[in-house]
Amino acid sequence: MATTATITISSPDLVTDQLALTTTCTMTKAGNSTDIAQTSGLARTNFTVGGSSPFKSKVIYRSNDATSDGANKVYLKNLSTTATEYFTIFIDQEEMGRLYAEDWAFFPWRSSDGTEETFIITIANTWAAGDTWDFDGITTTAANSTVADIAAQIHAQNFPNWTTSISTAAVTFTARVSGAAGVVTGSTAITGDTVTTAGSGSAAVTSGAVGTRSESDIIVVPSVATTMDLEHMLFYQ
Amino acid sequence: MATTTAAISLTSDLLSDALSVSTTTTCMKAGTTADGLDQMDTGYIEIPTGDVYDILSLQTSDTQIDKANKVYICNESTDETYYVSVTVKAEVIGRLYAGDWMFIPWGAEHADSDIGLESSTGTNKITYTLFHEGRTLLAS
Repeated sequence: MATTATITISSPDLVTDQLALTTTCTMTKAGNSTDIAQTSGLARTNFTVGGSSPFKSKVIYRSNDATSDGANKVYLKNLSTTATEYFTIFIDQEEMGRLYAEDWAFFPWRSSDGTEETFIITIANTWAAGDTWDFDGITTTAANSTVADIAAQIHAQNFPNWTTSISTAAVTFTARVSGAAGVVTGSTAITGDTVTTAGSGSAAVTSGAVGTRSESDIIVVPSVATTMDLEHMLFYQ
Repeated sequence: MATTTAAISLTSDLLSDALSVSTTTTCMKAGTTADGLDQMDTGYIEIPTGDVYDILSLQTSDTQIDKANKVYICNESTDETYYVSVTVKAEVIGRLYAGDWMFIPWGAEHADSDIGLESSTGTNKITYTLFHEGRTLLAS
């Protein structure tokens, strides 16, 4: 068994000849017959947004969630039973259409990703046990004065918005989500970090690159501020 | 009223528990449960490489704008490397590979919300159907 999607469109009275169309596609990776391998699973998202129109949107899938230009597929369904309630579906900034009550959609998704911000800090000069480096809400407290050990401590943290890799005393940070988040402000500058040291310890940024935003996030806007629910699922490479 | 239903069935063994999702919608006019979409445009077309070709276009002040239109597109090509890039209002939604189909709402919120297809490999064979509640006709 693989992953399949079957559509049946039927109408006894739209045209003289009864309309009865059925098509099944087996979801495969781009350009070959290998079965698609990953799914988000079926999910339900509530929109109780309050406020006034235009109502607050939600990102249902970010471009980071799937392979760019893969054979990704998205399923959406408006679970509302009130005929006038609809979700407006946007890809990036462009409107696809309105998903009215009980309507569903199934479509391929380009998932064109942007680039993630990245920077490198190098732990240097004189550190002492108890010195700290704060960033992204995480405080790393030096266990000793060895710069490579302190870098390893930083690398061992789980930053909410960044992943890390390490080379001796240099730690490379990469944003989890693409976009120009404003943390990296230049090739040698970031905002929001603090070194507290008894000596001359430093965590200088030795390189950095500003990110660019994704161009195909799936954004959904409800038509009312009261509760609406969207069912959704992503199949991706 | 015309009654047109669209059903989808998704099955997969990707998860530990077999996935089986089925749902049906009756294609209604915008914001009502009393009146179904009663007009349909359909076609079969070959899309050559080289450009984005609009298969569904709007006129300024078209009555389809902000309605509950539905669009079905199927790539009938059989070579698995073939695909068309599907655009709405010049924004690429995704790649519709050989054998794949899609079914989307088309609010057509602006007169340039055309649906276009671009073949990136060989000539792709495409079937499409638009279910709608009326459009602005051009006088000859």
